Amino acid sequence: MAADADDRVLQLRAAVKAELANVDFVLGYAKGFDPLHATPVTVRTEADADRLIFDATCVQNLATSLYGLNGKRIGLVVKGCDSRSLIQLMQEKLLERSQLVIFGLPCDGVLDLAKIRVKADIAAIHGAEISGDEVRLLLPEGTKTLPRRDVLADKCLRCRYPNPLVADHLIGQERTPQGAEDTYADLDGFEKLSPQERFDFWKRQMSRCIRCYACRNACPLCVCKHVCLADSRDPHWLSAEATLQEKWLFQVMHALHLAGRCTECGECQRSCPMGIPILLLKRKMNRELKEVFNYEAGVDPEAVPPLHTFLMEEDKIKDRGQLW
Amino acid sequence: MRIGVMVCHCGNNIAATVDCEAVAAAAREFPDVVYATDHMYACSDPGQKTIEQTIRDLKLDGVVVASCSPRMHEVTFRRAVERAGLNRYMFEMANIREHVAWISLDRKRNTQKATDLVRMAVEKLRVDRPLTPKSFDVQKRVLIVGGGVAGIQAALDCADGGLEVVLVEKKSSIGGIMSKLDKTFPTIDCSVCVLGPKMVDCGQNPRITLHTLSEVEDISGYVGNFEVKIRKRTTYVDWTKCTGCGACQEKCPSKKVPDAFNENVSLTTAINIPFPQAIPKRAAINAAHCIRLTKGKCGNCQKVCPTGAVDFEMTDEVVTEKVGAIIAATGIDLFDHTKLGEYGAGRYPDVVTSLAYERMLSASGPTAGHIKRPSDGKEPKTVAFISCVGSRDRSVDRPYCSGFCCMYTAKQAILTRDHIPNSRSYVFYMDIRANGKGYEEFVRRAQEEYGVEYVRGRVAHIYPKDGPDGVQMVVRGADTLLGRQVEIAADLVVLAVGAEASHGAPELAEKLRISYDHYGFFLESHPKLRPVETNTVGVFLAGACQGPKDIPASVAQASAAAGKVLALLSKDKLESDPQIALVQAIRCIGCGKCERTCPFGAIRMRELRDGSKRAEVVETVCQGCGICSVTCPVRAIQLQHFTDSQLLAEVNALCKTWDETIES
Repeated sequence: MAADADDRVLQLRAAVKAELANVDFVLGYAKGFDPLHATPVTVRTEADADRLIFDATCVQNLATSLYGLNGKRIGLVVKGCDSRSLIQLMQEKLLERSQLVIFGLPCDGVLDLAKIRVKADIAAIHGAEISGDEVRLLLPEGTKTLPRRDVLADKCLRCRYPNPLVADHLIGQERTPQGAEDTYADLDGFEKLSPQERFDFWKRQMSRCIRCYACRNACPLCVCKHVCLADSRDPHWLSAEATLQEKWLFQVMHALHLAGRCTECGECQRSCPMGIPILLLKRKMNRELKEVFNYEAGVDPEAVPPLHTFLMEEDKIKDRGQLW
Repeated sequence: MRIGVMVCHCGNNIAATVDCEAVAAAAREFPDVVYATDHMYACSDPGQKTIEQTIRDLKLDGVVVASCSPRMHEVTFRRAVERAGLNRYMFEMANIREHVAWISLDRKRNTQKATDLVRMAVEKLRVDRPLTPKSFDVQKRVLIVGGGVAGIQAALDCADGGLEVVLVEKKSSIGGIMSKLDKTFPTIDCSVCVLGPKMVDCGQNPRITLHTLSEVEDISGYVGNFEVKIRKRTTYVDWTKCTGCGACQEKCPSKKVPDAFNENVSLTTAINIPFPQAIPKRAAINAAHCIRLTKGKCGNCQKVCPTGAVDFEMTDEVVTEKVGAIIAATGIDLFDHTKLGEYGAGRYPDVVTSLAYERMLSASGPTAGHIKRPSDGKEPKTVAFISCVGSRDRSVDRPYCSGFCCMYTAKQAILTRDHIPNSRSYVFYMDIRANGKGYEEFVRRAQEEYGVEYVRGRVAHIYPKDGPDGVQMVVRGADTLLGRQVEIAADLVVLAVGAEASHGAPELAEKLRISYDHYGFFLESHPKLRPVETNTVGVFLAGACQGPKDIPASVAQASAAAGKVLALLSKDKLESDPQIALVQAIRCIGCGKCERTCPFGAIRMRELRDGSKRAEVVETVCQGCGICSVTCPVRAIQLQHFTDSQLLAEVNALCKTWDETIES
C-alpha cells in the first residue's frame, strides 16, 4: 500500500510537471500544518509540484475553488467524489470541460477529524501513519492504533464512486466501490422518528449554528456567491437576527437549492465548526430525487438535471386532475 | 405613499358573513392607508366613481379593493384607477368573497380573515411598481383546426371578415361528420346538400388555405403571433396535378380496403376519393393497403393517371404558418360500442352504429340508399334503435348526455319508415331530450305519424336467434312504464352511440396550452360569460370539441368564435401584458437554468463583452408563468408584479397577524 501510494504521488508529480506548460496553474494537495491535515496548494513550478501529496488527509474538495476562475486553464487533482462536483458544474454550464486538466486519483477514503477528535487529542498528535487498515497516531503517551474504518468519513464508508468519473490523467489502481446502490441506511433511522422528534432534533442542532456560512462557502455547487440570498436585502429573505428561524430557513434554502444538484461531497458538514449534520438534509433531498426522477447528480455529464427541465406531465408526479 | 381601501359588501354576498365596516376600520390603521371605506357594490357605477373621486381628492398613489375574485373584476377596477390617473398596476384586490364569505358562516373569524387579506394587499401595494405594457404587431390570419361544419363555418365567417384563414383537417376531405349524414333533424333536409355549398365555398375562397390529411404538430408564440407547424401527411398524389377524375380508383386492384368514410360498411380501393362531394376532390393512397407501396409491384394508378399526378416517392411535408389567432374545432368521435359485451361487442354484423346506418340511408352511401342487413343483404322488416349507448352511463365513464342522439334516433326511425313503408321500428330510450326549436314536435311526429314504438327502458342484452327469415337479433330489456320485461326480435339493431371528445384532443390541448376536462373536451374560459374563449388568449373554441353539440349549436358557436377572432384581429397592434419575467443582469450568473425550464422558449442567453453570459427575456413570448423565477437560484429573474419582495411583503403581513393572534 505504502509503496503504491508513494508510486502514485510520484506519478502524479510527473504528470503535473508534464502539464504545467499547458495550464495557468494546478490545484492539488500538500502537507499541512500537522500530520493529519493536508492543505490545498497552487502549483505553478516544478518545485511546487514536488510538494504534492495524495493520501487520506486530502479531504478538501478542490472543485469548490473553480467557480469564478472562468477564462483560466486549470489543472485539478480530484478524488472520485470530487469529480462528481465537476460533472455537475459542467451539466449546469458553469464549467467548460476544455478549461480543465483533470488529474484523477482513485481513493481509499479520507479521514474524518471529528471522529479522531473523540479518540485522541488532535493538538497533541505529532505524527500519523496510515497503512493498510490501520491508522497509527503518534501521541506523547505513545502510539495509538485505530482501525481505519473507524476514522474514515461516513461518505467513504458508503462510497460508490472511489474512481474519478472524469479525468485526463487517471493515476493509480482503480478501487472497488462500496456497493452499487445507496441504501440510505443513515436516513432510515432518522426517518423513523416522529415529525416532532425530528423537529426537536433540528431545533437542537440549529441552535448551535453561528451563521458563519462556512457550509455555503465550502460547497462546490453554491454558485450564487456575491448574490447569495442570505446576504440579499431586497428581497429581504433573512434578517440578521440570530434566531432559530433564520438559521433554519437558511439551511432549508441551501438544501432546496441543492436538490438534484448535491453530489454529497460532504464539504458543508466537514467545514461546519459546530459539527451540525447538515449533509443529512441534502441526503434526504437526493433520496427523493432518486425516487421521483431516478436521477443522481454529477454522474453523467450528458444528463440534464430533472429540475432544469420542463415537462407537461411527469411520470411520477400526478398534478393534473380536473381543474374544477 | 397614500393608499385608499374600499371594502365591498357585494350586496349580501359578503356583508352577510363579514363585518365590512369593521374591516374598513381596521384597514385605516394599516401603514400608508389614508382612507378606507365600505361600499354596497364596489363594481357598480357609483362604486367606481367613488374610487375615482377619492383618488383625485386625496391624491392617492394606490388602491386596494376587497371584494370578489380578481378573475371577476380586476380588469374593471384597474380601468377605474387608470381613469383617475394612476397606473393600473398600482391596484390590489383582496378576495373576501370566494375566499372568505362564501366558505364560512363564522362572522367573527371571517372578519379577521378578511382583515388579514386586506393587510396583505396593502403590504403588497406598498412595494408595487407601475408597469407599462408594450404594443406589438399582429398577424391578421387565423388557424382553424378541424374541417367539420364548425370549422367550415368559422373559416367562411373569418374569410368574409377579411382575414386569411388556414384550415387544417385530419382527413383527406373537409366536411366532418355532417358530410356523412343522410338527412338532418328536424327538417329532414339533405345533409350534404346544405353542407356541400359551404364546403365548395371553403375550397374556392382565395382567403382560405386548406391543409387536409394534415395535423398540427407544434404551436409556439402567443396571441397575435402564433407560429404553427403543420404536418401534411403524404398522399402519394400531387394535388396540384390531380383533377379528381377517378380513373385511378377504377383501375386500382386493391379493392378490399375498409371504407372509413362509409363507417367500414363497404369496401373501397387503396387509392380513392372518399366521397363524391369531397373538398378538395383529390385522390389519396392508403399506404397500408397499396400493393405498390407494400409489395413493390403494381403502379396501375400511375399508369392510368392522365396528368401524371401519382408519385410513390412522396413524403410527409411540414409547413409553417404564422397566424394571429386559433380556433379549435376538432369536434367529436363516436363511442366505441365494442366495449359493450351485452350488445355483442361488435361481433354481430346486424348490430350497427347509428352512423353506419346513416351511411346506409344515404343515396351516395354503400347501399345506394337501400337499407340492407349487413349479414345477408335482406331488407329488414323490424328495426330496433337503442338510445344512450355510451351516454349517461357511468359504468363506461360516460356519465354525460350526448344531447343529439334522441333526435337522430327519431330521424332515423322516420327515415326507416320512409324507406321501408311496411317496417316496424322500436326505440328503446331512457328519457327523451328534445329541447331545441321544433325538436319535441319532431319526436311526436315520429311517434304519432310514423308509428314508431317508443319503449322506455334500458336494453340488457342482445343475442342472435334463428327465425323463419334467417337469424334475427333478440333485444331484451325492461319496459319501465309497464313494469315488465320486453323482448323484440329485430332484423337490424341500431346503436345510438354517444359522443366522445375527438381522439387526440388532449394532445392538441397541450399544444394549444388550453385546459381540457376528464373526457378530453376543451374547457371554455367561463361556462356562461365566455363560452367560446379559452384561458389562453387568442385561442377560441367552436363546435363539439367543447362538449357534445348538434349542428345548429356548432354552427352558432363557430360564428361566435369567428366574431371573437375578427374583433381581436381588428386591431393593428396588441398590448403585451407587462406581468412577465425580467432579468436583473447584475444578479444573473448565466447558468441558463431558466432557459432550459422555460416552456415557451421565451429566454435566450446573451454574451457580454467579457464573455460571460446573462439571461434575457423575450417580452412578447413570455407568458408570465413564473417557472424561471422559481428555478433561478439567485432570484435574478423575477416575475413583474409578483416579485419575491412583493410576495414576501404579503407573507410577512400574514405572519405578523398570526403572531399577534397567538400573543393575544
